[in-house]
Amino acid sequence: MRPWFTSLVLICAAALCGCGQHAVSRDSSDWRGKMKQIRFAVRGSESDPAMATRWKAYAAYLSKASGLPVKLYESSDYNGSIQALSSGQVDMAQIAGGGYANVDAQVGDKVAPMVTVRQAEGSMGYYSALLVKQSSPVHKLADMKGRTLGYVDFNSTSGYLYPRAKMREQGIEPDTFFGKTSFAGGHTQAVMALENGQFDATIIEVGGGDPEHGFTTGPQYTMGRRGLVDPKAFRIVWVVGPIPNAVMVTRTDRPQPFIDLARGAMAALPYDDPDLWRGIGQPDGSAFAAVDRSFYAEVIRLRAADIAKRRGGANSPPAKPS
Amino acid sequence: MRPWLLLALALSIAATSADAASLRIAAITGSNGPCHALEAGAPAGEIAYFRHLESRLGRAILTCNVMDRAAAAQALALGRLDAAVLDPAAYAPVQAKARAILTVRPAGRLNRIPIVVVVKKTNVSATNLAALKGKSVVFGGSVDAALAVPRQALTDQGAGPGFFAREAVSTDGDSAAAKLRSGAADALVLNAAAWQRLCQGLRTQDNRCEDLKVLWHGHTRATLALVVRRDIPDDLRFRLIGIHLAMHLEAKEAFAWASSWIPQSAEFEPTEADALATR
Repeated sequence: MRPWFTSLVLICAAALCGCGQHAVSRDSSDWRGKMKQIRFAVRGSESDPAMATRWKAYAAYLSKASGLPVKLYESSDYNGSIQALSSGQVDMAQIAGGGYANVDAQVGDKVAPMVTVRQAEGSMGYYSALLVKQSSPVHKLADMKGRTLGYVDFNSTSGYLYPRAKMREQGIEPDTFFGKTSFAGGHTQAVMALENGQFDATIIEVGGGDPEHGFTTGPQYTMGRRGLVDPKAFRIVWVVGPIPNAVMVTRTDRPQPFIDLARGAMAALPYDDPDLWRGIGQPDGSAFAAVDRSFYAEVIRLRAADIAKRRGGANSPPAKPS
Repeated sequence: MRPWLLLALALSIAATSADAASLRIAAITGSNGPCHALEAGAPAGEIAYFRHLESRLGRAILTCNVMDRAAAAQALALGRLDAAVLDPAAYAPVQAKARAILTVRPAGRLNRIPIVVVVKKTNVSATNLAALKGKSVVFGGSVDAALAVPRQALTDQGAGPGFFAREAVSTDGDSAAAKLRSGAADALVLNAAAWQRLCQGLRTQDNRCEDLKVLWHGHTRATLALVVRRDIPDDLRFRLIGIHLAMHLEAKEAFAWASSWIPQSAEFEPTEADALATR
């Protein structure tokens, strides 16, 4: 046998030996070649322009972790992320529970939750609050009968879906109880419209506390830090929740190594780079926890019930604020 | 080239490719041995765990018998293992070469949340935690996140029972901070979220804690953690974290076995590299 042939045989034998030992091995590194980039839908925060900068920092982190460019799709309304996910135009997104419920209704298990935030004290939810001006005669939900109410958006969990369901549970039919209802289009717009006297009350998300101890986060506080409103000019008269926190979801038809890596990299972030974690607006001491569809079961149920109720001939959808 | 040299070269290539294509996990068995595929008679949970990792990582998962956690740590440092569950004592000698990636959160317990110890800025003599020995401390509440977890973090740092001359528990962070500011306490202990809320003003530029300073900031020390070598590629580290994080949802039998080193385990939790480091 010629020496070069001997060499070839030995090297091939050795290589086969290595492969044989790992019969289950298969190359999972080609997922990057298939994906080429990560398309990530996020909702721009109209109350916090710095959020765009924060998302870019987040994208840079995910890009470094994955070795792929990350393209951010910032949508100005709730429906943008929902449609981008449902149509498969993006690979992952951060959306509220109500948004995920809509996606679930459209494409089922083609989109699945990956992680949500668990706060330091263990809570994995936030609240929906009925907000009025300090000078308002409204002191409880019942006082709102016949008055004007501003919702945030049809796809908003805390600003539409959840409080309406809870009103019904408390014997109030939201489609007939109020004199007039409107969609403000966002949490900031809702607070601004309240400030300008367009509504008697609005429903917004609040967090960083609980009904017993009060809240420290919400659009009125974010706007207060920007000098747009005085948070002390408002008061909360009704609170429901907790509502499951917004969720990071992914398309399930993407390569599994991508899904595992994205979930792991995001979960490692508060431990690997706590400054960046705080920088993207996450509360100190919070962390990502894995969740699945069952965590959002109540929101999915409420969304289905709300749609069924509307299709059943209740009042037509509210108009935009005039 | 002589045949024996070729054979050595070929075997070297094979060994290298085997390392790259497998994940070697320590099994504490009371004796050292070579890494090998899991036997068919292994516990069902262990088989489920190995199969789950194999299918998600696309590489063989090998089990490697080691005498004890200290032997696992040494094997990890020498590159003979890829992952092992270690305790602080086993981890200490290999700290430069290994890092924690996951701990387990028991059911009904909090994450390993960060804690801060705060003093007045004017307290120039307090430069570290040890300087507070014999002083008074106030906690910002009685729930676990405000009292039990901070106390454990202090104990881990050598400031356990008897370290402080006096301890007080306020109803919340604001009232605890008031005690510190009034001089009724020398130090304030809060979890990092409560500290952030305490100091956050209504405007971005507002800092309600400019008169205070953080003396110590850290976590409770983990009692056990899944440890990997520090030179492990981030790709593999993140995928391991991602797979384990959702294991209690996606592969319950595998999770029950893989997390059995912590009683009443609820889920895997990522962790900072030095979660097992002693002070």
